[in-house]
Amino acid sequence: MATIAPPEVRRPNLPSANVPLPALRDYEQVDNEIIATLKPTVPWFGAVLVSVFCMLIGAAAWTYQIYWGLGQAGYAPPVMWGVYIVTFVFWVGIGHAGTLISAILYLFRAGFRTTIYRCAEAMTVFAVMTAGLFPIIHIGRPWKFFWLIPYPNWRLIWPQFKSPLVWDVFAITTYLIVSTTFLYVGLIPDIAVLRDREKNPIRKRIFAVLSLGWRNTEAEWRHFARAYLFLAAFSTPLVLSVHSVVSFDFAVTLVPGWHTTVFPPYFVAGAIFSGIGMVFTIIIPVRKWFNLQHYVTLNHLDAAAKMCLFTSMVVGCAYIMEFWVAWYSGNPYEQNFFWNRVFGQWWWAAWIMLLCNCVLPLSLFWQKLRRNTTWLFILSLFINLGMWYERFVIVIPSLSNEFEPWQWTHYLPSWVDMALLLGSFGWFFMWFLLFVKQLPVIAIAEIKEIVPPKMRVHGGVGHHVAAERSASAQTGGRH
Amino acid sequence: MSTETGSDGVKRRDFLKVLGVTGAAGAMVGCSSERVEKLIPYLVNPDHTVAGVSNYYATTCRECAAACGVIAEVRDGRAIKLEGNPEHPLSRGALCAKGQSALQGLYNPDRYRGPMVRENGVLVATTWDKALELLGQKLGEVRSAGTAGRAAFVNQAESGSFPALLDQWLAAHGMPQHVAYDADANLGTLEANRQAYGTPWPALDFGAARLIVSIGADFLDDWGAVVPNQLAWAEARGKLEDAPRFVYIGARRSLTGLNADEWIAARPGSELAIARALQGAGVTIAEAAEAAGVPAAQLQALATELNATRPSLVVAGTRGPDATDVALAAAAINQAAGNVGVTVKPAEAVASYDRVASYSDIRALSTRMAAGEVPIVFVRGANPVFTTPPALGFAAAMEKVPFKVSFSSFPDETAELCDLILPDSHALESWGDAQPLRGTLALQQPSMEPVFNTRPTADVLFSVARANQATAGGFPQPSYRDWLIARNGGPRAFAELLASGVASGTVLEGTAPARAAAVESPAAAQQGDGDFHLFVYPSPLLGTGAGGNKPWLQELADPVTKISWQSWVEIHPNAATRLGIRNGDHLTVTTPAGRITAPAFVYLGIQPDTVAVALGRGHTAYGRYAKGIGVNPLSLLGSVEDARSGALALSGSRASVTRTGDHSQVVTTEGSARQHGRGIAQAITASELRTIPVPVQRVTSADATPAEGVLPPGEGDGHDIPGMPNTAFLPGLRSPVAADAQGEYAYPNSAATGMYDPEHWSGMAKRRWAMTVDLARCTGCSACVVACYAENNIPTVGAPWQGRATSPGVWDETPGANIIKGREMTWLRLERYFEGGEDGSSDFETRFVPMLCQHCGNAPCEPVCPVYATYHSPDGLNVQVYNRCVGTRYCSNNCPYKVRYFNWFGYGEPDRRQYAFPEPLNWQLNPDVTVRGKGVMEKCTFCVQRVREAEHRARAEGRDVRPDEFTTACAQGCPSRAITFGDAADASWSVAQLAVDRRAYHVFEELNTFTAVVYLKKVNHPSPATPAQA
Repeated sequence: MATIAPPEVRRPNLPSANVPLPALRDYEQVDNEIIATLKPTVPWFGAVLVSVFCMLIGAAAWTYQIYWGLGQAGYAPPVMWGVYIVTFVFWVGIGHAGTLISAILYLFRAGFRTTIYRCAEAMTVFAVMTAGLFPIIHIGRPWKFFWLIPYPNWRLIWPQFKSPLVWDVFAITTYLIVSTTFLYVGLIPDIAVLRDREKNPIRKRIFAVLSLGWRNTEAEWRHFARAYLFLAAFSTPLVLSVHSVVSFDFAVTLVPGWHTTVFPPYFVAGAIFSGIGMVFTIIIPVRKWFNLQHYVTLNHLDAAAKMCLFTSMVVGCAYIMEFWVAWYSGNPYEQNFFWNRVFGQWWWAAWIMLLCNCVLPLSLFWQKLRRNTTWLFILSLFINLGMWYERFVIVIPSLSNEFEPWQWTHYLPSWVDMALLLGSFGWFFMWFLLFVKQLPVIAIAEIKEIVPPKMRVHGGVGHHVAAERSASAQTGGRH
Repeated sequence: MSTETGSDGVKRRDFLKVLGVTGAAGAMVGCSSERVEKLIPYLVNPDHTVAGVSNYYATTCRECAAACGVIAEVRDGRAIKLEGNPEHPLSRGALCAKGQSALQGLYNPDRYRGPMVRENGVLVATTWDKALELLGQKLGEVRSAGTAGRAAFVNQAESGSFPALLDQWLAAHGMPQHVAYDADANLGTLEANRQAYGTPWPALDFGAARLIVSIGADFLDDWGAVVPNQLAWAEARGKLEDAPRFVYIGARRSLTGLNADEWIAARPGSELAIARALQGAGVTIAEAAEAAGVPAAQLQALATELNATRPSLVVAGTRGPDATDVALAAAAINQAAGNVGVTVKPAEAVASYDRVASYSDIRALSTRMAAGEVPIVFVRGANPVFTTPPALGFAAAMEKVPFKVSFSSFPDETAELCDLILPDSHALESWGDAQPLRGTLALQQPSMEPVFNTRPTADVLFSVARANQATAGGFPQPSYRDWLIARNGGPRAFAELLASGVASGTVLEGTAPARAAAVESPAAAQQGDGDFHLFVYPSPLLGTGAGGNKPWLQELADPVTKISWQSWVEIHPNAATRLGIRNGDHLTVTTPAGRITAPAFVYLGIQPDTVAVALGRGHTAYGRYAKGIGVNPLSLLGSVEDARSGALALSGSRASVTRTGDHSQVVTTEGSARQHGRGIAQAITASELRTIPVPVQRVTSADATPAEGVLPPGEGDGHDIPGMPNTAFLPGLRSPVAADAQGEYAYPNSAATGMYDPEHWSGMAKRRWAMTVDLARCTGCSACVVACYAENNIPTVGAPWQGRATSPGVWDETPGANIIKGREMTWLRLERYFEGGEDGSSDFETRFVPMLCQHCGNAPCEPVCPVYATYHSPDGLNVQVYNRCVGTRYCSNNCPYKVRYFNWFGYGEPDRRQYAFPEPLNWQLNPDVTVRGKGVMEKCTFCVQRVREAEHRARAEGRDVRPDEFTTACAQGCPSRAITFGDAADASWSVAQLAVDRRAYHVFEELNTFTAVVYLKKVNHPSPATPAQA
């Protein structure tokens, strides 16, 4: 049975925290406080209702559009891609920060990820779930979307593997599967805690199944840590590849403003930037409403804000690079397009983008603002807006001012476009809100890694043993 | 194969093939793309009817007075396509947009279903027996009252026997001769021609002239018979560097004006001064220039050039109160310059306008009716209520007539006022004849059974006359057909005549009625004193309104302004800037006679002191496609006439223009009217062209050694790019896809190259279907566009009920809402680019470019389609598989030419409000072409159905496809002969030789798309006095 070993041996091989959480006294406090966040509240019910309502608006609009045809959206040929593709790229991009935080920062042992990664990772899964809908919403015959999937059929017809849209299918599916798996594996020890605390037999049964019979043994921790490390390593290239593939949708075409090699790194940087923006949008209310300020401390936000600032500057650099290449190429189509981008009919969209993505984030050079949650939240909304507009600026002005001047046009989204954009937020937040009340929004097991054992604070073997025992009970250990 | 059976008829294989095609098409037509319907074959075929095989009937187009020859393609008893009759001396196989649209008159869903009679103020359906009995009774009443001599019959102006027959019938009933009304006819020119040349319309030989001067004569729009004009014009311009220079004088650059090398932007009303100055008759150049508001130097240069150039051709066709005088002055110049007999040929007269009545005849009738003198009035094929100014009060005058009979097939404004409707059968449903040229007889035969319960008016006349003992004697035959047979040498001779549709011969000549005495037009004081000259002109597509009920013509962008489904007010950019007017600002144009409100269109080609409005729209009746669309500028005009010809003066009044403050988007297909230096429409000056030697070419067969001057296939671009095709195709017409399969990158196992292997039994990869478009010939008339609509079942999308919902359940009913969104489906569109004139000067050039799928050898659309819905066929077609398309629209994004079109709504689904083919318009659908479902991409196929049909026919006959054996719909209809289609890989096709012409270029060649459409540069003829400008 329970043999007491030195902590160095028993503790799982998780990265040690370097952003301290001084307000956390012991494991029990962690368990209690985090599990307390799972109790449904009236405002939460209200929020879910609002989200579901928005989602239903989107669903109704989609139904309307399927019945009548895509003409109900605002498409104005040759602007054949509109708000749906903008929104698709937007949500795929959002997902990337989650994987970056949970996987890449894990590999780099960046301690500030610990408190925010669960939230970010859940965001990833739901963002990809949202994004995945949009190519289907966007196509003319959505009931035939499965023709993009290579499946055996008697006609021996395969998809066109040269088409980036087929690559997209692979990229998005892979990303959804891997990020869901990663989220789930990281949740296993926490689900075990919930199982042990759960009174409701049905829920307890569900948690028991989901926790895969986690018993907090050394062997389990060892396997868990290995698996987690492996999945982190597995997810890492996806952060780079998925949005690169999405960028190929544009980069492999001839369209001025799309046909450029800078797109893959530019898209990846933009994706991470937008994702961090969304993390702020989510985590700041969560830490406030769930009383988790002493978990997600200003130090964490400060560190994340630095990352935000960095990616903002990468994105800004990519913007400048695009203009430089257009000028340097001597290609009149490119030059015309980039001139139009900032001074043509869509000038306002480009300037919204530049303001939100390149100018406002520069405020994060000031530590005061990095530690001001109100400013961070406002800024994150601007970043979300700016990154949506970035995709708008990429997709729409390029198509509306292509090679053939006779077909230059103007585009205005319709109410159906807007309803589906709203619906996408409803859908995303519906899932996210359901998630935060079912599963811990902060990784309990990883937090416990940071909480200093009482032994070290107070000294004395007895203390330490007691603390460990209570901790193992809380984490569901059955020695 | 089937040649061994020795049978000439339809082979079994063909039959099955055709049955399959029909079955597939039958499943598509008029239903959603998903539903499968039953195909029930004939148990016993009607004579000459084989399911899925077309019959062709030579007949005559009656859409305008010209009477071009057409061949109606009839499939399973339904006319589905009209083509020009190549044996017809007037139209020589070409057909204009109006002629193509005759089918939509035939199948118009708003036609009268049968005879109607007014009961208690409402028109109700009746039977032919009752209707004819009523007519007989009324005729009897009129006769017994002794007022028959005051009756009136207004008929459309047409050539042929019918007018004489009609007069015979009228005389038999004691009624006076009919009034042959043609609202579109250019009466001033007709009158001047009668006086100067002794014939209403002499033949014009544009090609013989070295200099053409048009004073407002829009011979490519509506002046005379447009198709022969255009054929002659294109032939003239087809002489390239030796072609005549063309100077246009007028207040507005019409389509004709845009084709001119130089435009003299004269104020309306100053044309006479200019004509007289050029004539040297009492007006000096300086005075004329002053009146016209143009530089005297420009006018002087023209006068000098005109004096120095022989032969020349001066035509005039203004529509002001002095139209006849202007045309007479022009005729005087021709006579003085010795052009008569050279470029103006009175001996080869066009006979279509011999007895056109004038507007003053209609006015006289209106006066008589208003005075209650007319006991009964008949109207057939004319719509005087709509085509006369409201100031005349024709509608109110008609109310005074006790009994009004209309033979109109459509519920137009005049018919709606009548008491008895005896709907005439469409020209494609009835017998007749015409006389396009003097001494030429053109027959008109029904191509199908009547769609509705209509009767040809001629047959109605026979029935009525024969029902009465008193009149039966003059009409021994039971029907008009029998009468025609009797007149044309009996059944046997008649059958032979029918086969070709035309023969030398004559029709029954009536006597032209005495011209009504010229009446001084009511006071010129009514002309108003606004800031602008008002210039009203007939639309080249809709005429004065007759085309308005045909969705193709409503949808087809006006060739000049590129606006459809609405009226507009043209205003010069400088005037617009001065008044702060932008495109789409609503303007109210006010004259003493009335006012209209329409969106502004800022147009470079209008004289700066002038505003112009087109006729043709503003119907208050005439069916769903016409009613409520646009405004009718006739309400701005007083009933002012050209005293010498009795023509209604369309210009000459003044108007004031005010902004209403409203704004709406112009329904236009135009994006940017400027090329931005992108070389889409290229031109070369005649002098530059002279410096380029004509290559010695004309390789007679594919394997002959190319003559000197012809580049060996695949060479000549100066550099070898690995992987680039180097075999089998002409330079610039290469097909990397096929070459990949054939060349060095081919899979080593040759069996795997499949149909892309030139040795494959299908032989497909030996061909490269291609097209050349000669911009020197293209006039921008847009007939090709309508031909494409007809051939390829392209839906019209601009009707008010076809838009989208602006919020749930609230529909955008703006006419052309989809076109504002750029959603028109024109597989072939005509782009109109301006060069120069950025400062608003009149010195600008226009280039028209028919833009269609370029069938790139290296097509950007193909690799991006995720489901292989678009791919490259071995014979060089870029193929679109509608059934495979899921509608990602990625192909369109990647198409540099933007020639792919998407089905935003269920245009082919009868249960959708956007349905484009309401019964019986769907009868016109080509069974060889799928009606596309919603959510799929479509585009020009190079008429693949015609390609395959020709190949199948050749295979069935055991031969190869002969060079130039067939062509696409656009090329077939083109009245300029600008489009040539064929196999560019076989030098014996015309297209292969044109593709290596010295003027050839590809659009966006730098994108390496290897297009199969080759454009030949336009040739400009700058004034000898001005420096060359290309």
